[in-house]
Amino acid sequence: MSDVLLSVKNLEVTFKNGKENFTAVRKVNFDVHEGESFALVGESGSGKTTIGRTIIRINPATKGEIFFAGQKISGIIDRELDTYVIRNIQMIFQDPMASLNERATIDYIVSEGLYNFGLFKDENERREKVFKALNDVGLLEEHAERYPHEFSGGQRQRICIARVLAMEPKFIIADEPISALDVSIRAQVLNLLHDLKNKRGLSYLFIAHDLTVVRYFADRIGVIHQGELKELATAEELFARPLHPYTRSLLSAVPMPDPDVEKHKSLLIYDPSVHEYAQEGPSWREVFPGHFVLANSKEEVEYRAAFTTNSPSRR
Amino acid sequence: MAKTAERFAFATFDVLQSERIAGPRYSYWKSVFQTFFKRKTAIFWLALLLSLTLMSFIQPLISGYDPAVAPNINTPSTWYQKPSAEHWFGTDDRGNDLWDVVWSGTRMSLSIAFIAAAINIGAGILVGAVWGYSKRLDPILLAVYNVVSNVPYILRSMMLMYIFGRGFWQMILAMTITGWLSIAFFIRTQVMIIRDREYNLASRCLGTPLKRMVTRNILPYMVSVIATLIYQEIPGLINTETILSYLGIGLPSTYPSLGRMIDVYWSFVDTYPHMIVFPGVVMGLVTISFYVVGQLFADASDPRTHR
Repeated sequence: MSDVLLSVKNLEVTFKNGKENFTAVRKVNFDVHEGESFALVGESGSGKTTIGRTIIRINPATKGEIFFAGQKISGIIDRELDTYVIRNIQMIFQDPMASLNERATIDYIVSEGLYNFGLFKDENERREKVFKALNDVGLLEEHAERYPHEFSGGQRQRICIARVLAMEPKFIIADEPISALDVSIRAQVLNLLHDLKNKRGLSYLFIAHDLTVVRYFADRIGVIHQGELKELATAEELFARPLHPYTRSLLSAVPMPDPDVEKHKSLLIYDPSVHEYAQEGPSWREVFPGHFVLANSKEEVEYRAAFTTNSPSRR
Repeated sequence: MAKTAERFAFATFDVLQSERIAGPRYSYWKSVFQTFFKRKTAIFWLALLLSLTLMSFIQPLISGYDPAVAPNINTPSTWYQKPSAEHWFGTDDRGNDLWDVVWSGTRMSLSIAFIAAAINIGAGILVGAVWGYSKRLDPILLAVYNVVSNVPYILRSMMLMYIFGRGFWQMILAMTITGWLSIAFFIRTQVMIIRDREYNLASRCLGTPLKRMVTRNILPYMVSVIATLIYQEIPGLINTETILSYLGIGLPSTYPSLGRMIDVYWSFVDTYPHMIVFPGVVMGLVTISFYVVGQLFADASDPRTHR
């Protein structure tokens, strides 16, 4: 496997609201390798967006550390590293209707990051970079003079991507980039992200709640529930051998385009009380090579037994 | 067969063609003025506002009216004249032509209101923008605001006028020393509303410094809010000037102003009502035209009204 680009270690994020504390993320560990798409999947409020925002430092990490290209980027960092992190980690937001400055031209929006770091010699070079970014996402040069409200949702999300591309980052956090889009243009944006990854060797942290999308897009998937990572495996492995009951319930909720199957499908509902953690608490265990689950030793044996007879490719 | 090949050719399909935007180019300020000038009432009141302002700044230069000089003070026949062809607004208790007095009074009141409003709104926007962003500054300024705003504005300016004494700059000082606070508070609230919107988070992720954040992300969203502030602030300050002068603590008697006129002429309201009606009407027209023009402009500067 290639080098580790981003490494999240024992991350914990707590929000303080007066006297009440709310821990949105606890003890989360994962690595993202260079050129990899890593997906975080979970239901609303599971803390997946918080993880993304903590990496890009909108939210501070309460405990734990985040490393990017070998350097610690959580906590207080010096100016030089700050610039390095901003230039190399960028974020695509969920709602393209809300994440563009309505009073600025596309030209300004796309070159905002370039202005911030003086990433151009002269006006010509800046224009060139803006046009290139727009072309890369399938937009026209004439769009530079337009305002965001003149574009459709899919176009706007591509403008968001162009703005990120202009910074030439190594790592992109995509926070549910297609959940606010029409089904018809989701594929357009996903394909674009996929192409860009191959062309530029980008790495993604892809945050989603839709497993089908993630299966198509991601190399590895982490399943998160109530702020805890429950299971982590390659996309293929996770769909073939879903071990954790929560992962299984998520998979059972995926709609099938076949009415017969859909009619007789039994939905699994995840009930945390199935775990018997009174005597032995869960820990992060590698059940199969590269396939991690949050389980105790009894569960680990059960999980392994359930899938040893099945070959992963047949399921 | 050959004929069809000539007549028909395959159309090429250009994917990018679907991305093209057919509509005309949008420009924010052009649309603002287009929307504004589409309304006849807007044109009428703007014209009235401009002519009143111009008149009050030009006419006193021609008339050379000076309240310290009363050339007709010793010719009682020129006193208390009713409006006529010679004296359009009549004359006052010292034989001054009211037409001259009204315009120099309006000029003085407008000057004070313009200067004080510029200071209040400028300082208010500046402080308010930083106030809305800074978590450290917020409790301090909030405490100051709570203490100061507990005292009514008019009482505050009265107290300050007693401290500074009567005069033009003293009055501007009295109006501005605490006047910017309420505007800053208003702007702070507006900034807080749009501060954490997603596009601002996006700018933060791009490393945009606070200064550009305020000028490019926050202020452009507040054009209509600022227009509203201006059209409320200027008539408000004209009123404050009038009230302070009417209470006898505003401008000294060597200055003409709308407030001074109402203060001096109020004793003749029963006998010679024209002396109070004309300054009152001019002041009313100035105030109303500010309100109407300001409100229509604030509406026009909201992009939701464009097209």
